[in-house]
Amino acid sequence: MAKLWQILVGLFKQLSDESAYERHLASHGLQHSPQEWRRFWDCRLRAKYARVKCC
Amino acid sequence: MKKVIRHLAWAAVAVLGAYALAGVALNRGEQINSMWLVIAASCIYLTGFRFYAKFIAAKVMMLDDSRATPAERLRNGHDFEPTNKWIVFGHHFAAIAGPGPLVGPTLAAQFGYLPGALWIIVGAVLGGAVQDFVILFCSIRRDGKSLGQMAREEIGRLGGVTALLTVLLIMIILLAVVALVVVNALKGSPWGTFTIAATMPIAIFMGLYLRYWRPGKVLEISLLGFILVVASIFAGEAVANSPVWAPYFTLSGLALAFAVIIYGFFASALPVWLLLAPRDYLSTFVKLGVVLLLAVGILFVRPTMQLPALTRFVDGDGPIFAGKIFPFCFITIACGAISGFHSLISSGTTPKIVAKEWHVWPVGYGSMLLESFVAIMAIIAASVLQPGVFFAVNSPAGIVGATPEAAAATISSWGFPVTAPQMAELARSVGEETLFYRTGGAPSLALGMAHIFASSGGGRAVLSFWYHFAIMFEALFILTVIDAGTRVGRFMLQDLLGHLHRKLGQTSWMPGVYASSALIVLGWGYFLVQGVRDPLGGINSLWPLFGIANQLLAAIALCVATTILIKMHGSRYMWITCLPLVWLLSVTYTAAWQKIFSPSPRIGFLAAAEQLKSTLASGQLAAGKAAEIRTLIFNNQLDAVVCGIFLVLVTTILVDSVLLWVGLLRGTRVSESTETPFVLSRLRPEEI
Repeated sequence: MAKLWQILVGLFKQLSDESAYERHLASHGLQHSPQEWRRFWDCRLRAKYARVKCC
Repeated sequence: MKKVIRHLAWAAVAVLGAYALAGVALNRGEQINSMWLVIAASCIYLTGFRFYAKFIAAKVMMLDDSRATPAERLRNGHDFEPTNKWIVFGHHFAAIAGPGPLVGPTLAAQFGYLPGALWIIVGAVLGGAVQDFVILFCSIRRDGKSLGQMAREEIGRLGGVTALLTVLLIMIILLAVVALVVVNALKGSPWGTFTIAATMPIAIFMGLYLRYWRPGKVLEISLLGFILVVASIFAGEAVANSPVWAPYFTLSGLALAFAVIIYGFFASALPVWLLLAPRDYLSTFVKLGVVLLLAVGILFVRPTMQLPALTRFVDGDGPIFAGKIFPFCFITIACGAISGFHSLISSGTTPKIVAKEWHVWPVGYGSMLLESFVAIMAIIAASVLQPGVFFAVNSPAGIVGATPEAAAATISSWGFPVTAPQMAELARSVGEETLFYRTGGAPSLALGMAHIFASSGGGRAVLSFWYHFAIMFEALFILTVIDAGTRVGRFMLQDLLGHLHRKLGQTSWMPGVYASSALIVLGWGYFLVQGVRDPLGGINSLWPLFGIANQLLAAIALCVATTILIKMHGSRYMWITCLPLVWLLSVTYTAAWQKIFSPSPRIGFLAAAEQLKSTLASGQLAAGKAAEIRTLIFNNQLDAVVCGIFLVLVTTILVDSVLLWVGLLRGTRVSESTETPFVLSRLRPEEI
């Protein structure tokens, strides 16, 4: 049950880009800040919405 | 001993699947419970996954967990990141599941539940899942390259350019047809229109919240956004009952079409974070939740299917769209069985986050089986309606008659009894003015879903809420497809225009952005308005065009996959992708040929144009009507040309591929592997 919950939370964080943000902070050794989130988010969304969405 | 038990268990699954499928397929004249279909589909999926897909994974792809995937080799903390198998599975499923597997099966239910259900099950196991699986594998062995890049490298430059052009054209038709589904679901519905309109300020609020108030708290605002959307459904009822507010939200099809077109332009030109991204988060979570809820609802209610296994419309004279089972059932249902669009996802984000090669098996093949199961649930939801009600909702006025009484009489004369008062009562119970002529599939699907949800608890008292919840759910992610599709179409167009003038290709040059956005919106907007004005409901002409286009994209993906399999194994395993390819080509070429040249005006675009010309030549029309007929003639001719262009594009890629295959197999062409070289994986289990 705990494993299932862990996967569900992981999936939600993946779908919401929150885990990508955590990875971004960790890989660059940064702390969360509104400015850093905006920088990350702009970059992430630019790449994300350059790809087609399925029908 | 364990092995024997395992073999016996799989034999039991296979026998149960075969028994349930026989029950579904051979039953005539009696209504059956939907559980038969659920059991048949589940057992066949399990067997296909365990045996066919595992055979492909082990013998054909030779998946190797000791080989580092692009996620590991190119790990950068952004796009490339090794991720847990089940998280990738959910991510991939959320990306491939759109409105297609819900709407297509609902429309194809005009043949009865059997043809669509068989195609969904068999098509997914032998075709759709194989395509997604093989393309994902090919992309992973090539640093996560896209389908277009692989087409260019494996087949040639011509293949790459053709793939790009095909995708752009398909996007235009896709956006028009899904926009038409929304328009037909919302026309004359103040409740639905208010709810959908409310999602826009809600999304903007979410965007501002995420950017300025609580940066990074996506899950938190998504939950809040969901609560607000549910509140807007309740508010929608109050708006619909208000003599002051209801008129503002009671819009005709044409008014809604222009509203969607204007919306599409602004949504694609506005910053992504303000509208598109927040609503995309919301729609993804709602989509996953509703799919789960529908599955639980079906298992809990176990509804009886009211539609017969086969209807009289197998003869090709159906009211929703014209044409016989072959080829039209197979192009109407694309996403639940095989969809070319999936190949773009399988060669998009997913290959960049797969941690181990064997994860491709559940992610590529398994996700498509789950999508196929969503399509089965859509068929069940459509089939729980009484057939008379199903056809009353989905048939256009041009076929059944312009008044409720005439429509009810026509549908009853087909052997599907329904009355105008019965439809009026049903409309009242879901808070609508009328449910006649709601072509497009969304309203009948919403009715079926509402019926299942309400039967799980609450009864008729909650029917109207669930109906509008289902409409909101469908419209929410259709509008997200429109936003994102228009934006991607704009990028593609700018990519092409950049070859003519460098500045036009720059995505930061605003005049170029506005001009290309306008061109894309005008492209799909034209087809949308054409569909809204079509006296046959628009779906009759646009959905087959979309189906043909989508299946032809699948044919391109399978050409790429076959080329790679030939390079790997010669002719030994090429049947795996050639089997679905040959089927798809026969289906799409036949459908495209019939849509262009059939002598029946309800099927052939050119025959329809000729019939309209005769009407015009008779000279017995009012002045305004003559102009309308001229537009209809042009539209039919345009549809025939678009259909012809699809055929030419795919024939180009097919001929190019076949010449390459012959050369490779005869040894006159050098078989060069484009796989990235083997690198030993050093990924530890705890990292994923």
